[in-house]
Amino acid sequence: MGKKRLITGVVATAEAVRLADVDVISSFPIRPYTGIMSELARMIADGELDAEFVHAEGEHAQLSVVYGASAAGARTFTGSSGVGVTYAMEVYSPISGERLPVQMAIADRTLDPPGDFGSEHTDAEVCRDQGWIQGWAATPQEALDLTLLYYRIGEDPRVLLPQYACQDGYFVSHIAGEVDVPDEAQVKEFLPPYKNKHQLNIYEPQIIGAQIEPDMGPPLQYQRALAMRNAKEVIKEAYDDYNRIFGRNYSPFVEEYMTEDADVVIFLQGAHSQTAIDVARRLRNHGEKVGVVRLRTFRPFPTEEVRDALSKFKVIGVVDNSANFGIAGGGGVLLTEARTALYGEGDKVKTVGFVAGLGGEAITRDEFYRMFAKLKDIAKTGKVEQNAYWVPFEL
Amino acid sequence: MEYDVQKLFEEPGLIQITTWARGVIQNKDARDVVFALANAASKEGKYVQAWENYVDLPDRVNVPVRAYARISPNPIESKYIYENENPDVVVLTEEGLVKGNNVLKGLKPGGVLIVNTKRDPEYILKFLSDTSNLGILGCVDATGVTGYIKTLSGAEGATDASGIGAGVGAVLAGAAAKAKEMVKLENLLGTVKNQDACRYGYENVKLMKVNEVGEVVSIGKIKQNKYDLEGLPFAGTVPSPKKENEGMVTGNWRTERPILTKELCNDCLICWLDCPDATIFKTEDGLIDFDLKYCKGCGICAAVCPTEAVTMVPELDFVD
Ligand code: SF4
Ligand code: SF4
Repeated sequence: MGKKRLITGVVATAEAVRLADVDVISSFPIRPYTGIMSELARMIADGELDAEFVHAEGEHAQLSVVYGASAAGARTFTGSSGVGVTYAMEVYSPISGERLPVQMAIADRTLDPPGDFGSEHTDAEVCRDQGWIQGWAATPQEALDLTLLYYRIGEDPRVLLPQYACQDGYFVSHIAGEVDVPDEAQVKEFLPPYKNKHQLNIYEPQIIGAQIEPDMGPPLQYQRALAMRNAKEVIKEAYDDYNRIFGRNYSPFVEEYMTEDADVVIFLQGAHSQTAIDVARRLRNHGEKVGVVRLRTFRPFPTEEVRDALSKFKVIGVVDNSANFGIAGGGGVLLTEARTALYGEGDKVKTVGFVAGLGGEAITRDEFYRMFAKLKDIAKTGKVEQNAYWVPFEL
Repeated sequence: MEYDVQKLFEEPGLIQITTWARGVIQNKDARDVVFALANAASKEGKYVQAWENYVDLPDRVNVPVRAYARISPNPIESKYIYENENPDVVVLTEEGLVKGNNVLKGLKPGGVLIVNTKRDPEYILKFLSDTSNLGILGCVDATGVTGYIKTLSGAEGATDASGIGAGVGAVLAGAAAKAKEMVKLENLLGTVKNQDACRYGYENVKLMKVNEVGEVVSIGKIKQNKYDLEGLPFAGTVPSPKKENEGMVTGNWRTERPILTKELCNDCLICWLDCPDATIFKTEDGLIDFDLKYCKGCGICAAVCPTEAVTMVPELDFVD
């Protein structure tokens, strides 16, 4: 059995990296994810972890280091935040295209300007279509669990895709909470050693990322699309095993809170779901039929699961913690994707967007209260007057 | 829905012109042939497009490269393609291109081939494999009139500040206009810089009738990509060749062939050291020889040989 400890998301992530017995780590500092790397450096210095630790000259190099190391057969770990995440953008598609299951922790952070350390999902969400598995941890415990789960999912031979294990900067990364740190035997049972499908080998030389002709492009992209499709089954299996071995109770794609008889729900992902659940509970105490649906896996987007979950309600408020200027519907990515998932359900399910918590501002309970009130209004009048509201300016 | 797509997408009157040339040293003249013809046709109110092959390797000296033009009385609908599937006219800026390149591939019945060569059409014909669609073969000694224009101006789709048709390209465009009715000579002359060269090509191209073919409607072949997903390399990885690379056979880059004069060779192996393609080897009787599957004909061996034992001979002097 594991050990209970009071630790932050960054330490919880580092503990998982240690337990996964990672071979190569590449770092470059930027708040708020930096603490993961400090902790890993300490572990290596103290002999708790045996891994190559490469301090890169920037995020682009950071990702390039793990790209090569993963091709050589190493289990790899890297991470970043905010503009660090976007600086490495070029390397994400080659890594997933070469089907190398690199793991990157993103403790998210608003993109500049302002030079603000605060959490926002924007940095990680702009990378959403690069062929990486992606999802958000909402607590330090989940940060640890997500790291282990993602190695298992990404390295599965049916998937072989890299993963962004995301956590809300500061809220998850910097506020210590109680974490059950599993022991090595449990992890061994859950996570088999990494075996690459096309490992670099001096006796059987091969070219990775070769220049190809245009007609070789479609099958390459299709292979990656199929891997993303296959990932859904693998994610289910991995969560089942994880729940069994570590005694957790996670649902792999979508989690529902107090939704049995709800007419209106908030749909969101990440740390702010915890606040939304708290507000819903208090409203429930007054007899309001409100609930929360939380998205746990963002890529592959679980279209069917989201549709099945959301189509039961009258009104859904989709909270986006990201800046998506000029997007269809005027909300955020989650709003557009939730609406896509609901395609075919007609007007019986109404959706409205809330853009909230930008620049690292907390989404307060008062703000969630106002969102629920708006959803109740819509349920009553049957009218969606505005596609999306920027909170707190418009609500 | 069930249509004969070949018929559905017919573009009557569409003329496709393909020029073959040698990388870097002749890119410009290949481009000039197609741009001169397309510009001339545009003056006549026709619809045109012209481009260089995007997939060939334009930055390797001597590698076969292609350029294309399409001329039509109607707006061109199949605009976004990589290659002319069914050329009406094929132009070679250098004679050696007839070897190792399927230059007549997809040729429309009755199509035209124009070659820059001093030799006669009869001799050139020997090197062409399937000539069943070839209507006319034309030979013109363009290099005897003017030279190749060597410039990078206009490469990669940029504006060609050096103008169109100052060299070999003008002669060949003139010859093509003579062999296939597509533009008037006066409009071609109004497009090229070297009008005398262009007129020379028009007037002096030796044309030979190869096959009698009637009226043809222009049809672009419909390309359907089929993939064997299982057989494809995983994630686009390519196994590295250990000895030779069948995917990169360079023998058809050659315009001249190295020939050894045994008596002069002192076996110093300097040529072996300097050959950029490692194509020089020793035969069983101890003499050096050249692997013609990969020899690019760069001439470095001849240049470095201290005894002048290697001579570069035009590739088309050999019928093998
Ligand atoms: S460099 Fe000349 S002399 Fe020396 S081996 Fe080659 S051909 Fe013979
Ligand atoms: S011409 Fe001579 S040096 Fe050049 S590739 Fe051929 S053999 Fe080698």
